[in-house]
Amino acid sequence: MSTRTADRLWPACLSALHLDRFLAGELDELGARRIRQHLLSCPGCAASVEAMRAARDEPLPPLRVVPLTPRARRFRGTAAAGVLLAAAASVLLLARGPGERVKGPAFALRMYVEHGGEVRPAMPGEVVAPGDAVRFAVTTPAKAYVAVLSLDPAGRGSVYFPLGGRAEAVEPGGEVALPLGTRLDATVGVERIVGLFCSFPVELEPLRVQLERGGPLAPDGCQVTRWSFVKR
Amino acid sequence: MSPMTLDGAAIGRLYRSHGHVVLRRARLLLGSEADAQEALQEVFASLLRAPQGLRSAGSVLGWLYQATTHFCLNQLRNRRTGARLLQDRVAPTSGIAGGPSPEALSELRSLLARMPADAAAAAVYHHMDGMTHAEVAEMLGCSRRQVGYLLERAQRSLALLEQSA
Repeated sequence: MSTRTADRLWPACLSALHLDRFLAGELDELGARRIRQHLLSCPGCAASVEAMRAARDEPLPPLRVVPLTPRARRFRGTAAAGVLLAAAASVLLLARGPGERVKGPAFALRMYVEHGGEVRPAMPGEVVAPGDAVRFAVTTPAKAYVAVLSLDPAGRGSVYFPLGGRAEAVEPGGEVALPLGTRLDATVGVERIVGLFCSFPVELEPLRVQLERGGPLAPDGCQVTRWSFVKR
Repeated sequence: MSPMTLDGAAIGRLYRSHGHVVLRRARLLLGSEADAQEALQEVFASLLRAPQGLRSAGSVLGWLYQATTHFCLNQLRNRRTGARLLQDRVAPTSGIAGGPSPEALSELRSLLARMPADAAAAAVYHHMDGMTHAEVAEMLGCSRRQVGYLLERAQRSLALLEQSA
């Protein structure tokens, strides 16, 4: 490509942004009328608008990162809270695996599942379905840098939380919902979840690789909780 | 949609109504269907994490253009190694009749990855989206004069990179 041809990459005389604003109804009536008149005499813009309209009709994949209903955020102070927190404690006890280092009783990771519009707390070995959304909540007695990693049935490691490359600070609290949920893909089998509570913003990529290689995941300065669910 | 009432449900509606704009531009910028799908998810994930960015933006579409451009240019810089660029050469085109050839787009992507960030963003808006200097200025939050300077800088970078290719 020469620098001269760079000027001709967009085939219409009105910009993509201008045409998108027209299609989205962001323009005022006068602006929209001008565009409609322009389209009658400009084949380049008319063809672009047609292609953009066609793209709008294409079905989008589900939003993988989803907000769940507010009732999954906190259960403190409700009758259900005692039941759920007690369940969470037993979950962590049951879910501990070899090499895990959970030194304090107060750190806890909890998972919620959204299926068919309903949100339920998950138990160890919970059976979920592709397309369900999962979201995590943590209990931490002090400010901690938190991350949630997963190893899917195909052996792929990924970071569920946070989006950045380091564990993210979470203020002390019980059942504090992490801000992102994740829509599950179609890979079926057992998925392993690792929750990290660290005293510093630990780098996550080396831990993700370590998880994929089957190594123990116990960085200094971090407490680790483990979890698993079955997707089928 | 009012930017002041942005909650999870509103973001879901925004995804359904405007997600195709992000996907279309990500396909054009990244040249890979899988990477474009990832960009679509990441742009809306960033909105869930920090909705204040959209609240303070003048226009929903303007914010989505900015977020998509920022994410995709970062991706292009991250993949500056040869193997991925070879894949790009058989990747989807813009889908717009009369649009650029796959070869021209692939070459532009590799050049954008090596340009200074602000000049690359200006080049994307002007050359790939066909924006006027005024529209680019709105996207970048700078003056039209600064846009002219950035585009000149982008052209110089393109010329230098082509000479060294």
